[in-house]
Amino acid sequence: MELKIENVTKQYPNGVKALNNINLTIERGMFGMLGPNGAGKSSLMRTIATLQEPDSGSITLGDINILKQKDELRKVLGYLPQDFGFYPKVTALDMLNHFAVLKGINNKGERKEIVDALLHQTNLFEARKRNISEYSGGMRQRFGIAQALLGNPKLVIVDEPTAGLDPMERNRFHNLLSEIGENVIVILSTHIVEDVKNLCKRMVVMNQGTILFEGTPDQSIETIKNKIWRKHIDKEELNDYRKTMHVIMSRVVDGKLAIHVHSENNPGAGFEMITPDLEDVYFSNITSKN
Amino acid sequence: MFKSIFLFEIKQGFKKPSTYIFFIIFFLLYLFVGLGLSGVLPLATGDSNVFVNSASSVAGILVGLNESIMGLVNSVILVAIMATAIQKDYEYNTHALFYTKPIKKSAYYFGRFFGAYTVALFVFFSQILGYFIGCMAGSGNPQVGPLNMMSFIEPFLLFTVPNLFLLGIIFFSLTTYTRSNMTAYLFSIVLLVIRSITDTITSDIDNKTMAAILEPFGQEAFQRITEYWTPEEQNNYLIPMSGVLLYNRLLWVGIAIIITAVSYFKFSFSQFLVPFVLFKKKVKETLSPASSQIQNLSDLPVVSRIFTTKANWKQLFYLAGFEFKKMTKSVFFVIICALGAAMMFVISQFTGAIYGTQTYPVTYQILEAVAGIFQFFILILIVFFSGTIVWRDRDNKVDELVGTTPISNTILFFSKYLGLIYVTGILMFVIMLTGIIIQLSQGYTNVEPLHYIKELFGFRLASMIVVIGLCLSFQVFLPNKYLGFFISILPILLSSFLFGLMEWNNSLYTFNSSGPGLQYSDMNGYGHKPFVFFIYKAYWISVIIFVSLLALRFFARGKEKSLKARFRLSKYSNGRGVKLATIVSLLLSIGIGSYIYYNIKVLNKYTTATDQEKIQVEFEKKYKKYQRTLQPRIVESNVKVNIYPETRSADASGFFYLKNKHAKALDTIMVIYDNELKYTKLAPLTAYTTVADDKEFGVKIWKLTKALDPGDSIKMEFALSHAPNGFKNSGAETNVVYNGTFFNSSIFPTIGYNPEYELSENAARKKYGLNKKPRMADVRDSVARMNTYISSDADWIRFESVVSTSEDQVAIAPGYLQKEWKENDRNFYHYKMDSKILNFYSFMSARYEVKKDKWLNPADPNSPVNIEIYYQKGHEYNIDRMISGIKKSLDYYTKYFSPYQHKQVRILEFPRYATFAQSFPNTIPFSEGIGFIAKVDDKDEKSIDYPFYVTAHEVAHQWWAHQVIGGNVQGGTLMSETMSQYSALMVMEKEYGKEAMKKFLEYEMNTYLLGRATEKKKEVPLMLCENQQYIHYNKGSIIMYALKDYIGEDTLNAALKRYIKKVAFQEPPYTNSIEFVDFIREACPDSLKYIVKDMFEDITVYENYVKDLSYTPTADGKFKVKLTLGSAKFKVDSIGKQKKVDVADYMDVGIFAEKTVNGKKQPKELLLQKVKMDKPEKTFEFIVAEKPVKAGLDPLGKLIDRKPDNNTWNFGSKPPKVSTAAGNDNMMMMLGGGDDEG
Repeated sequence: MELKIENVTKQYPNGVKALNNINLTIERGMFGMLGPNGAGKSSLMRTIATLQEPDSGSITLGDINILKQKDELRKVLGYLPQDFGFYPKVTALDMLNHFAVLKGINNKGERKEIVDALLHQTNLFEARKRNISEYSGGMRQRFGIAQALLGNPKLVIVDEPTAGLDPMERNRFHNLLSEIGENVIVILSTHIVEDVKNLCKRMVVMNQGTILFEGTPDQSIETIKNKIWRKHIDKEELNDYRKTMHVIMSRVVDGKLAIHVHSENNPGAGFEMITPDLEDVYFSNITSKN
Repeated sequence: MFKSIFLFEIKQGFKKPSTYIFFIIFFLLYLFVGLGLSGVLPLATGDSNVFVNSASSVAGILVGLNESIMGLVNSVILVAIMATAIQKDYEYNTHALFYTKPIKKSAYYFGRFFGAYTVALFVFFSQILGYFIGCMAGSGNPQVGPLNMMSFIEPFLLFTVPNLFLLGIIFFSLTTYTRSNMTAYLFSIVLLVIRSITDTITSDIDNKTMAAILEPFGQEAFQRITEYWTPEEQNNYLIPMSGVLLYNRLLWVGIAIIITAVSYFKFSFSQFLVPFVLFKKKVKETLSPASSQIQNLSDLPVVSRIFTTKANWKQLFYLAGFEFKKMTKSVFFVIICALGAAMMFVISQFTGAIYGTQTYPVTYQILEAVAGIFQFFILILIVFFSGTIVWRDRDNKVDELVGTTPISNTILFFSKYLGLIYVTGILMFVIMLTGIIIQLSQGYTNVEPLHYIKELFGFRLASMIVVIGLCLSFQVFLPNKYLGFFISILPILLSSFLFGLMEWNNSLYTFNSSGPGLQYSDMNGYGHKPFVFFIYKAYWISVIIFVSLLALRFFARGKEKSLKARFRLSKYSNGRGVKLATIVSLLLSIGIGSYIYYNIKVLNKYTTATDQEKIQVEFEKKYKKYQRTLQPRIVESNVKVNIYPETRSADASGFFYLKNKHAKALDTIMVIYDNELKYTKLAPLTAYTTVADDKEFGVKIWKLTKALDPGDSIKMEFALSHAPNGFKNSGAETNVVYNGTFFNSSIFPTIGYNPEYELSENAARKKYGLNKKPRMADVRDSVARMNTYISSDADWIRFESVVSTSEDQVAIAPGYLQKEWKENDRNFYHYKMDSKILNFYSFMSARYEVKKDKWLNPADPNSPVNIEIYYQKGHEYNIDRMISGIKKSLDYYTKYFSPYQHKQVRILEFPRYATFAQSFPNTIPFSEGIGFIAKVDDKDEKSIDYPFYVTAHEVAHQWWAHQVIGGNVQGGTLMSETMSQYSALMVMEKEYGKEAMKKFLEYEMNTYLLGRATEKKKEVPLMLCENQQYIHYNKGSIIMYALKDYIGEDTLNAALKRYIKKVAFQEPPYTNSIEFVDFIREACPDSLKYIVKDMFEDITVYENYVKDLSYTPTADGKFKVKLTLGSAKFKVDSIGKQKKVDVADYMDVGIFAEKTVNGKKQPKELLLQKVKMDKPEKTFEFIVAEKPVKAGLDPLGKLIDRKPDNNTWNFGSKPPKVSTAAGNDNMMMMLGGGDDEG
């Protein structure tokens, strides 16, 4: 089973093109979607998750036409949105049970079994009788995954799941995700390069509603091999460099500014070629080449 | 700093479209009210003496429309404006900006508050603006007076500005602290509770002042201060900022300031971070548990997922239960229940009070009077909960999680619907439980659980289901919760408010209409209402299901906001089932709607008030010419009436004998009949030709082939039938019902043109080009005096009837039972009168219990009078009081007036569709609503035994109406209603003593003064009374009681006896009030002749007061009292303009001590004597035996006085200064032109 996205376009009423002719085929495994805020990742995910309607194009999962057979898709979908909350004064157990009903798990015994199993799985069983509104960020994200996994989904979409988590929680969350990715299609959207590096077999880089790159992380690094140059400069000089070169990122190292520049050739004195990593791929894609 | 935040807030407010939406909505609503009242809209026109643009009218509109549904709208809008001020900083996370910036707390807090308050003032100003323009559009119309801006500005300043401040600061503080609008709404409900309670307790006049001070919005205070204003005063005075109104405004503005201060000092910026919660729960710090090994996901159990119909139902019920739990667990819900129950208890203390006497808490009283307000709470609850639950997912950001589950929109929507129905059910249960507890706590054990269940879970729940659907649909459809709240109320508001005003009263579009209303009656149960009611509910539920299913097409699932996107998104989610249901509900709506249409428009006549006017005009134009055509008079009526209660039908046949009582032969007979009855025969038994047969108006005119000579009679035969004919748009048929049939002789034809059918409102007559018409013929009009005031075609008649009814019922008509038999399983009764009666008789049928007794005339013990009370089983409470009332009345009236003309008195209970008792010859139908369930407390001297009193009044009519009857001219009712009041008062005084009279007369005074304030045409002196109840009943009581006091009971009764002897059973011309008053004048000594003029011929009002009072103990242990008393006397014209005249009157001076009776302090009379007040102020000295407590002039209120409170004063303090200017209050401001108008 594969997810096929063809010519999907969506324009918001204010004229912003959220999705610009997106074409993608996604197979089983973890699929990373990398892009800055506002790149159109969430729009694309919502569109796949039946929460938004594209202006044109088609999306299919196996033989499900997502745009028309929304209910069929929802039966095999697990979705963890970027920004979500829970009802106040509801325990995790009740809340998960509630979602289980919504997902059509109507057999009471089975429902209890899966709810318990998922709470164990996400390490929330001990805290199951606590009000979910009192959960920490990591626990909430894990609960989010638990609800997404209800009902053995074939397609799991997680939107920026690790934002705001501390490193330990993030790690734990990655383990959970990679576990899922073995069996079903998992689409992970993030603006954190490391997430993709750690988890994904395939990835896209998106910006301004357009797919800038599609492939494996290794392939992506291949595209900029020998093209990334680094130099330590003074802060004041940054603007001068920006004017003449395609500066993909700058970061402060030991009080000095280190800039990475994308260039076919050595851009000039003091630059050294470095081995690019995924971050360089990402930034070279999303920063403009003037 | 303050300024910039203030301006920022205002700018924000004026940027929001909602500000203008609210402004426009208010503006339009009040514009329409103004246009309607000022006579611009083409609506039915009534006469009025009060200008619609006077200050008191404007204030009445502002505070009066603030009641119930409009009050709710005001609250919703005000919360929307006020609540958002500080709360929005939190909502949009901008609070951190303010928090970190160096802003002074005062500047921030007050800047925000006053900014929002200014916006609120702007929005609410549209009310006054709309009304102003509406009124002024009608300038030149008689309803609109000269323009004075102050009349509009003053009420706005006096009511709107402080009320908005009070509510505004409360909403502002509450939402700031709790960051939840619910608490603000909750508080507005608390205020509503206070209002309803104060509203209810004013049924006892002793509570009026307290209520006026406590009611938060100044409405009671406004009423209290203006209730006795005559039209003249209403037109010319501004609302005086004095007395209870001043105290009320001070109290509540003070409370508002305290709330402001408290909330300001408690407010701190860090407040934002921790919202204040009502019931604080300890929040445990949650640590993430220790990490454990991730197990294999493939270990997860595989579950089966079922998406069958059965599973859908399971989901529906599960979710409904979930919603239900969420709602009922909320603080809001718990408080509403507690408040509602508490309020039911409070209100139950005042239910059904008539003359300060409550009724037994029968179930229908509990359900109607007590639970009515609770119902309003349920409405509020539904409005707010439907917003909350539709928006809950989005507000808590669960929407995307839920949106991607395979649950259908339909299930999501209808589970909320069902959940709200559950909640409503629980509330109904709370009402029932509270009601039963109230009944038991008052020692009333006839609890009727089945009645509760039928009413609450049948009728009321069905209505609420419609409301729930409406609110949910709006919330689903609209893009904003607050807008949803507001729009949800609109249909309810419009149909109860604007539609009525515009005469758009077709029940098909009057939201949630229930068909013609029929009150529950212990006698007739729900009668024939259920079928019609549920037809209407079926109609509305289909409409609302259809609307819901349409709204479902825009169900917000996911992040789409615009209608179009939402529609596209949900396009494929609605399966065939939904489409089918949409079509079915549409077809059902149309089908049932057509059935209703067929009933109200095809089977029955549908007329608006304007249509009715036109019909009357046309009738007058067409037939007025026959007014002078001489007609024969009915001299005998002989009828057979068959009542079929089980089918609510009846038929009647019989004949009249018509006699030519004129000096000339006559040949034209005009007959008017009720054309809604089916007449199968209506013809004279002689040769004739038909001149006119007008079915539209129900008029037949015959020309007799051989003229009817003077003194000759002809027989006229008729046969008619009545059967239920579907149902009408409004007005349930109550004449013939399953149990408790009651109708009178008006079903039979009448002879001759009857001016009663003419349009009577002069403003309306002008509109149709008709001449002005006096309300009644002049007291001297000799032509009008040829008729009694109750019949235009007969004098005294012979009457005989055979009445039949079903086997289980008894049928009654006036007369003596001649024979009783059974035939075809039906009961037949033959009644015959042995003496002549007025052409006024009734027919009744019901399953009666009977209690019989006899009255023996002390003067003639051999001819007893049979007493029979026919009553509904279970209504035994006051039967003995009624019997006693009959006996005591017969004692008194036969002794002082004349012999009783009949040999029986019967009282017959009839359903409470009307609440009166009415005296037919020896037969008195008596409504179950007035007296049968009265709970008279003999120990409470303030509790008036009104079953006894009403009985005495009705029995008195056997003399005053059925022996003596006035001509159809002004003052006619003086000799019937006023004299019956007097007679009953005397019987009551004999039974209950003088003390009981005081309280009764207080009620009479209050009703009279209220009545004259709303007089639409002109107030007239008692002897010219034009059938105005406040004059002939209430003023009549006071005056006759005072008259008796002046000239003595025996002297007065002797005069009455002479009068009766002269005019009883007279033939035309009938007596008039001039003749009557002459008998009274004759009985008065010369020194008192002036009172006849003051009381009967003029409208006289006094202002009696105490100027100063003191006492000193004397040597012999007595007390010397020094009193300075004042009296001003005014003569008043027909619109209430007062003219001061010299006082030279005899009045009571009273000095009182205190005594304790049954643990309560009561005044004890030390001295009561007449003095002559021949100067405006006069000082007297008296010696009394005991230490006095209070004293004063006319302490028992025998003279008409608008401020009876200052007639007496307690020793030890100096009474306030009293103004005796022609105006009634020195603090009142006069408007220009007030004095020189005619």
